[in-house]
Amino acid sequence: MKPIAKVYTAILFLFLFAPIAILLVFSFNSGNSLSVLSGFSLYWYKELFHDANTLGALRNTLVLALCAAVISTVMGTAAAVGINKLRSRSMRAAMNTVTNLPMMNPEIITGISLMLMFVFAGRLMGLATSLNFGTILIAHVTFCLPYVILQVLPKLRQMDKALPEAAMDLGCTPMGAFLKVELPEILPGVLTGMIMAFTLSLDDFVISYFTSGNGFETLPIRIYNMTKKTVTPKMYALATIIFFVILALLLVTNLMDDDAVRERKAQRRGKKEHTLSDRGKKTLAGSVMGVAAALIIVVSVAGGGNTLELNVYNWGEYISDGSDGSLDTIKDFEAWYEETYGQKVKVNYSTFASNEDMYAKLKSGAVSYDVIIPSDYMIARLAAEDMLVPLNFDNIPNYQYIEPQFRGLYYDPDDRYSVPYTYGVVGIIYDANQVDQADTGDWDLMWNPKYAGKILQFNNSRDAFGTAMYSLDLDVNTTDKAQWDRALQTLLDQRPLVKGYVMDEIFNALESGEAAIGAYYAGDYFTMVDAQADNVDLQFYYPDPTNYFIDAMCIPSCCANQDLAEIFINYMLSEEPAIANAEYIYYACPNSLVYQNETYQEDMGEEAMEILYPDTGDFAEKYNKLAYRNLSDEMLGYMNTLWENLKIN
Amino acid sequence: MKKIIELKNITKAFDGEPVLQGINLDIYDNEFITLLGPSGCGKTTLLRLIGGFETPDEGDVVFLGQRINDVPPYKRNVNTVFQKYALFPHLNVFENVAFPLREKKVPKEEIEAKVTEMLSLVALKGFEHRSVTRLSGGQQQRVAIARALVAHPQVLLLDEPLGALDLKLRKDMQVELKKIQKQTGITFVFVTHDQEEALSMSDTVVVMSEGKIHQIGTPIDIYNEPQNAFVADFIGESNILDGIMLEDYKVSFSGQTFQCLDKDFGKNVPVDVVVRPEDVDIVPLERGQLTGVVTSVTFMGVHYEIIVDVGGFKWMIQTTDFVDVDEHIGIELEPDAIHIMKKSEYSDLYGDYSSFSNELDELSEVSEEEDE
Amino acid sequence: MREHITRDQRRILRADHLALGPYTLWAALFILVPLVFVAYYAFTDVNFQFTLENVQRFFTATSSILQDDGTSVEARTYLLIFWRSLKLAVISTVICLALAYPLAYIMARAEPKVQKTFMTIVMIPMWMNFLIRTYAWMTILQDTGIFNNFLSLLHLPGVHIIGTEAAVVIGMVYDYIPYMILPLYSIMAKMDVKLLEAARDLGCNGLGVLRRVVWPLSLPGVISGITMVLIPSVSTFYISQKLGDGKIMLIGDVIEGQYVANNLHFAAAIAFILMILLLVCMALMRKLAGRRVEGGL
Repeated sequence: MKPIAKVYTAILFLFLFAPIAILLVFSFNSGNSLSVLSGFSLYWYKELFHDANTLGALRNTLVLALCAAVISTVMGTAAAVGINKLRSRSMRAAMNTVTNLPMMNPEIITGISLMLMFVFAGRLMGLATSLNFGTILIAHVTFCLPYVILQVLPKLRQMDKALPEAAMDLGCTPMGAFLKVELPEILPGVLTGMIMAFTLSLDDFVISYFTSGNGFETLPIRIYNMTKKTVTPKMYALATIIFFVILALLLVTNLMDDDAVRERKAQRRGKKEHTLSDRGKKTLAGSVMGVAAALIIVVSVAGGGNTLELNVYNWGEYISDGSDGSLDTIKDFEAWYEETYGQKVKVNYSTFASNEDMYAKLKSGAVSYDVIIPSDYMIARLAAEDMLVPLNFDNIPNYQYIEPQFRGLYYDPDDRYSVPYTYGVVGIIYDANQVDQADTGDWDLMWNPKYAGKILQFNNSRDAFGTAMYSLDLDVNTTDKAQWDRALQTLLDQRPLVKGYVMDEIFNALESGEAAIGAYYAGDYFTMVDAQADNVDLQFYYPDPTNYFIDAMCIPSCCANQDLAEIFINYMLSEEPAIANAEYIYYACPNSLVYQNETYQEDMGEEAMEILYPDTGDFAEKYNKLAYRNLSDEMLGYMNTLWENLKIN
Repeated sequence: MKKIIELKNITKAFDGEPVLQGINLDIYDNEFITLLGPSGCGKTTLLRLIGGFETPDEGDVVFLGQRINDVPPYKRNVNTVFQKYALFPHLNVFENVAFPLREKKVPKEEIEAKVTEMLSLVALKGFEHRSVTRLSGGQQQRVAIARALVAHPQVLLLDEPLGALDLKLRKDMQVELKKIQKQTGITFVFVTHDQEEALSMSDTVVVMSEGKIHQIGTPIDIYNEPQNAFVADFIGESNILDGIMLEDYKVSFSGQTFQCLDKDFGKNVPVDVVVRPEDVDIVPLERGQLTGVVTSVTFMGVHYEIIVDVGGFKWMIQTTDFVDVDEHIGIELEPDAIHIMKKSEYSDLYGDYSSFSNELDELSEVSEEEDE
Repeated sequence: MREHITRDQRRILRADHLALGPYTLWAALFILVPLVFVAYYAFTDVNFQFTLENVQRFFTATSSILQDDGTSVEARTYLLIFWRSLKLAVISTVICLALAYPLAYIMARAEPKVQKTFMTIVMIPMWMNFLIRTYAWMTILQDTGIFNNFLSLLHLPGVHIIGTEAAVVIGMVYDYIPYMILPLYSIMAKMDVKLLEAARDLGCNGLGVLRRVVWPLSLPGVISGITMVLIPSVSTFYISQKLGDGKIMLIGDVIEGQYVANNLHFAAAIAFILMILLLVCMALMRKLAGRRVEGGL
């Protein structure tokens, strides 16, 4: 290789591996930031192994990738053989076109098209859940198939056509000829196809996003759903582990191939004579198949048996998961339930990224959940659309600990459908090292041209319009389009000043000093302070008026076991899990068992208690006035159009 | 002799293009029969019909008295040596040869013995564990033969098996194949486009073109008594002239009347006259029955090949005497040098050397090989 | 005997059908039928009554765009967004091609063992989730990020990348360049070195060999590479959200937004139009290249 070629290759490879190096380094970060290094620690690796949900998602991802790879390889190889045998030119052209379609179609279209069909078919068959492991598997097999076929077909074309004939001539049946002669010949193509299928399935997010359903969460979906909270270095730790496992696997296969090369050389000299490379490849393929089969069995066994199932659908990073020695709420519930009722229960815990996300899935009728935790305005919408069932409070005695000020609020005036889980207020976080104290105090800070390029706005239409409307002192729930237009104008005015429209990215941006100002949910401020860089000094205040929100537990009408769901809700209200969750989420908790608990208060600290539980006077009154309410479809559509108008500029 | 295979009135077309038309052929036990013809003549298709890879559109393939049109290849007691051998690259020499025995679930010791025996028959002892991809063309050829013979088929089909070998190796293998056929007593059906190969190896030669059989006979018959201009031209070199059979034993061509050995054509009938180049005698100008001008002389090693223009028709003559270009010479033909054939659709297509060139001939041969 | 024979005959036939049958069924059910559903949703309203409104909306909806001089103009919202997506995707694809082509050539000319290692190196990043990798790019590209720190170490002025179209293009190039390298490499590895020697022998200089021999021969690989990069780039929605700081809205973001807003019919309409436009683009490109590529990778 010429030196210039070497340099060029090195630079490109550096480009390919730069982000991998970053995540490798940050996986050892002792803080929880992805942009500020606080020190070396194995903390996140420890966390990772305590995080049953992430590990579960990893297992799901692997099972899915293996199943998809095996099925698409078997079917794709057979298809390639069939296509290769087609004598009619037009038939072959037609098959090739169909095969190329999933590759010529953007993933988003493949995803949406399959989702539409599954949902339609599900309704037709009257299924409660039309999206499940089966549908995501079908989707993955579908987009993997072309790659397998395109790997195998050239090998078939290269193969001497006389080989299968020779085998049949010598006494093989057609099937025998395929297995004994053709397959060994095209095996390299088949294996490459399988590895590609596995890789693509592993990496896919878009198609999974549209076709996944009930309780089957893959890693990419889990990561995507962390957008309200933040992606922690835990995910980097996981990626790092995956990286090294793959590296090891590749080294092993490469070594095996080296053996094969050496042996071939030896053979040429006529010394050693058996080829190991064939055996190596066969073992590799065999072990992959074996592992896949074993995993499938494990999964199907785990799914069966006399075990109750409870499907919980919650925001990403919105429950105590056992990290940092905290309580693993889900596991604890399973154990507690078995102890109390003498029966096993399996909680399938899935996450969503936004209320609208959850609503879309639920509305499509494609999924079935027993407990969901949406926000207030979404609860109102679900209730209005008969998508919630009234709760039987006899099963939820712990409801007594919910203070009266959190009852009878607008979204559930008769307290029929919901049990508050968390509540909070939107505030403004700023970096005191970059922002003049005198400029703070109200919404104007976010429109202050002094800080152009340092201001963050919500990347979520409702919240973004909310900031504008609160600053203009408008009613955030108005049906007067002119007022929405005014809000849009305000946002358009702000746009040149805005550094970015963000959700979870706000954590990194503020922690590192990349941005100086942003509105977000109160509790998250503390997460940022913990991770802020040395030259950053994050401060917090509540502008007035501002948004008040409540997230509450509900039971959707697709619930299969209401009693069990209510027992779960009641459990979530009991002291230990409620405190664990509140400490984990860092949002205010409407449960008196929590905020009156002294240990909790000590754990949180005085400053946090002050910020999280501000003295608002009559909470219900303020809340009912300022909280988001459900908008009509027309208004939602209008807001969406305005939002697109803002973004397009 | 016992008939092993009978092909009865076979017709076969691919995509509407007729490939075989009305083929009738009997193949006898212990025979070395060669299907000879230019590429595209249907000889390989005929072989594949016997092997079971194709089914006839019309007509029957009969094996030992039973119709086997629809019997798949793996149920026929017929094995094939493929054109490019079709050795299984993932198996070594031993396993390739053992393949049909393993299919038949022959006991292990027996396999060992039979494979060893076969490999020594084809002189490949000691190569058992070699990978087939590391063998020379000739060695691969032998493995293919051993593999096809090991299960003792009643008929062995060979599809241009020597085509990929160089000249010297080809000659050796011709001898060896013949020897193996004698030793095993198995019927060989051999396909080639090389007439020399066909003549030197076969008991029976079947000359084909355009999906039809032209002549079936021993090599000597085919050479000496070609039935039409196509056969005469395809087998060896021939000067083919328009002539008139005046009466029995008397033929006229090139403006002269010659004595010949042929009869029963009738009187004053137009015929094709075949004269082999080696049967033409060069004599001094004044003694020649015909006279002409030498237009080219090529030294061929054993003899010279000269082209002589006799009244506008170019003759090819093979002679050991040296003549010079532009020399005027006389030509003399003995009666037994002259062979008379009936006029056919091939008359006037062959036998004139006016555009002859060695090089062109070789080129066309190469492209023929690639076509198949 | 006769029955016996036909059974064997059928067996061979059945083997062929068995091979292709499941796939044909699968392709029909899960490739073709879903596309019919997209069309069906695109041309119906919430009550599944036929309507052209969704498609019309795509072509006619307008927004006012603020210009640099402070005045605003009306623009077709979705056409503009589509145009921007296409522009960024084309830029990314061209950069991918320019970067990958020399690399593929270098790889294809290296020793077999080195080739294998290179392939592995190109493949490895694909095994790590692309969301995570994209996330890591945020850390590199932001104003206080690794790249700018590196620049200030060299006493160079910092550059603002994150939130710009450049950042989105970097993300796309990074995520999709393996899909360009692989088909290019696989076609160049098959290329006969003798052809290059022959071209040199016939008087081509280095550039001439590249232009007149290597490039035309690699065209099928170029086309499948372009297809495999352009298509995901046009329709991505994660990269623009993360690296575009939410300021750059691509057509993928619009589809996802409409899906989340539970506006399935309009989402389907955009998807349908996008699909048609892309298929036409690809068909044109293949026609221009004048060569039918049957399975480049």
